[in-house]
Amino acid sequence: MSTQTQTETDSTRRGFVSRLRASPFLSDLLSNRLALAGIALILAMVAVALYARIGALVGFAPTYAELQSSQFGANPSLAAPSAEYPFGTDIQARNIFDRVLYGSWLALKFGTVTVGISTAAGVSLGVVAAYYGDITDNVIMRTMDVLLAFPSLLLALALVAIFPNELGLWRAVTALTLVYTPRFARVVRGAALKVLEDEYVDATIALGATDPRVLVRHVMPNCLAPITVQSTLNFGLAIIDLAALSFLGFGAEPGSPSWGLMLSNGVSQGLLTGDWWWSFFPGLFLAVTVLGFNLLGDGMRDALDPRMREAVD
Amino acid sequence: MSPPPDDTPRRELDRASPTLSRRLTVAGGAFLVGLGGGVVALAVATLLLSSVADGADTAFLLGVLLFGFGTLGWSGSVLAGRGFEEMQRRLDTGADWTEMDSRRAMARIGGFGAGVMLAAATLGTLLT
Amino acid sequence: MVSKRFVLKRLLLLVPVLFGVATLVFAILHLSPGDPARVIAGQRATDAQVAAVRADLGLDDPLWVQYGRYLVDIVTLNLGESYIIQRGTPILTILRARLPVTLELAIYGQVIGILLGIPFGIISAVKQDTLTDHLTRVGALTGISMPIYWTGPLVILLFAQFLNVLPASNRIASQFDPPVYTGLITVDTFVFGLQSGEFAAFVSAASHMLLPAAVIGVYGMALISRMMRSSMLEVIRQDYMRTARAKGQGAKITVMKHGFQNALIPVITVIGIQFGTLLGGAVLTETVFGIGGIGTMLVQAIEVGDYPVVQGTVLVFAFLFTLVNLGVDLTYSYLDPRIDQ
Repeated sequence: MSTQTQTETDSTRRGFVSRLRASPFLSDLLSNRLALAGIALILAMVAVALYARIGALVGFAPTYAELQSSQFGANPSLAAPSAEYPFGTDIQARNIFDRVLYGSWLALKFGTVTVGISTAAGVSLGVVAAYYGDITDNVIMRTMDVLLAFPSLLLALALVAIFPNELGLWRAVTALTLVYTPRFARVVRGAALKVLEDEYVDATIALGATDPRVLVRHVMPNCLAPITVQSTLNFGLAIIDLAALSFLGFGAEPGSPSWGLMLSNGVSQGLLTGDWWWSFFPGLFLAVTVLGFNLLGDGMRDALDPRMREAVD
Repeated sequence: MSPPPDDTPRRELDRASPTLSRRLTVAGGAFLVGLGGGVVALAVATLLLSSVADGADTAFLLGVLLFGFGTLGWSGSVLAGRGFEEMQRRLDTGADWTEMDSRRAMARIGGFGAGVMLAAATLGTLLT
Repeated sequence: MVSKRFVLKRLLLLVPVLFGVATLVFAILHLSPGDPARVIAGQRATDAQVAAVRADLGLDDPLWVQYGRYLVDIVTLNLGESYIIQRGTPILTILRARLPVTLELAIYGQVIGILLGIPFGIISAVKQDTLTDHLTRVGALTGISMPIYWTGPLVILLFAQFLNVLPASNRIASQFDPPVYTGLITVDTFVFGLQSGEFAAFVSAASHMLLPAAVIGVYGMALISRMMRSSMLEVIRQDYMRTARAKGQGAKITVMKHGFQNALIPVITVIGIQFGTLLGGAVLTETVFGIGGIGTMLVQAIEVGDYPVVQGTVLVFAFLFTLVNLGVDLTYSYLDPRIDQ
């Protein structure tokens, strides 16, 4: 343990790139096959999302408007999966394959927004709490603790109930951002405190470094690993929770090719009539994407955790 | 019963229940600050909403929110704190959530909220 | 082993928990944009009618007066009546009918989760970094990656549509009309079976329970097995475990004898917290399987703005959560007598 602290201190001095290269975290991660599988899944999903989005803009894939409006005449309604319609069509004769592909763009986009904002908010709150300590610390972190104590979906539902209807999907995004922020704040505060305990930070402050400089140059870089883990794990959760809110009717606007909404319609209208493809494929893509983030996140956490690194005997 | 793991006993000691006077100091101090906070909140809300009754209602609601937060957080920490500590330690990246910290700070938030409520209600009744 | 005083202290915690939840609900309901008077009077009501309803409900009083009245109502268990969903029905009546449905689902789900999660976690830890471990971990991660509202439909498709061996929705086949004793349908039909010697209704109820409970259980299993693995690994590495092994006992016996009980302690604490998540899961599961518990009702009530129903449901959730965590604490102090009671 003491040797590890030593290397951490040394490596912080050496700058970011060389530290990454020497980091046991990265080498552990790369030797973890499950994490690599996670990376592969995520990259595949990103590729699909970009294909659908760029296609919609350039013209080799259907546009958002086409995906949203019914396609009677162009396609049969409720067709089973076939060569022409790999995932079948829904009750409005829309091609589910195209919609599912575009859904991955929506999921990644809103996942990124949710996790991005909560990361930014959580990081600033956490760093400020750790750096200023005392009352600032208490007020920030205890508020975070209360939010942290609620089951995420129930808290999100409560928040959604407060926000006005007109916000549409942004209502769900805002609610989830509030739900996730505390997790980042907590993790970052912990990491930041560890850095601040180091003597060399005291030395920099004694040498006249300003607060923002210390925070940006010394504290932030050392929090990067835990932040990345937390973002990855929460990315999967965000996709699931956003879809869940859409599923319950508090998320995406009607007609939107979001996975949660497709699932919702597929379950409520298509399940008992046997049109299984309607809900199956959106859910499959959702599950695979989330699995990718969970595999990667889990692998990263193990790589970070010294307790998991020691071999038995 | 099997021998205890090395690192646990200290944590159990920390959890020893605080004395009544200690509890009162923590929550009572915050309550007094809350009284002041309530006066300020009422003044600001009254200026913004240009009505004392609405201002008092808003300030009171703020107090209720904090008070509810604090009460629920305090009892929640006592109730499920151990589980949160364990879950944080194993499935999460950060590991410094402690039941005691949370409990104490929740008492502060709750006390503050109660102070705001009292100030807003008293002033609201007197001024309208 | 567990003192009465400890149990009493924990039970007393119910008071601040429920008080806090009630206070928070009061704040949230008054912060939310909807106007209950408008909801009650209906969309077509004139402004005068709405104003009359407002005065009638006391919504014109200062908030602290409303808060005091609200607390008195709650203490006297006067939770009001539903505005919309079951207009005019007292909330307590609604909760009494619906709560057992959700409770039963959550309990069976939790039991399945524990029965699967603990063994998987142990196997994964004992065989760390082998293929078994990897498979178990991927299984657990897949479990939390699949949303309940997808696995639900999936098992319905598989078992109800294609194989046609289990029912897809509702709590019991329509030809049965079992008497209600507890509201827990498997218990009721079982008691009925004991009385009448006719167990067909029980079989029907149990088979209706299987799919939704399994869906919740698999989700719960994921977290429990990951906690169990982590906790077990830590215990295996403790010095006394190595000593025990060095003394020549077989690895498996050592693990079973010393490790299990110690490793179980952190897992149990998490089970209590997970019950909250499970209630959230029950909301979704009930929707998928068409089971009318308080979860479905909560979602409906939020959608239409039926505030007394929202408030009653949230209070009941908090109550259940507290009780479950009390149970967890008792188990905990039984397993680990060192804790300060």
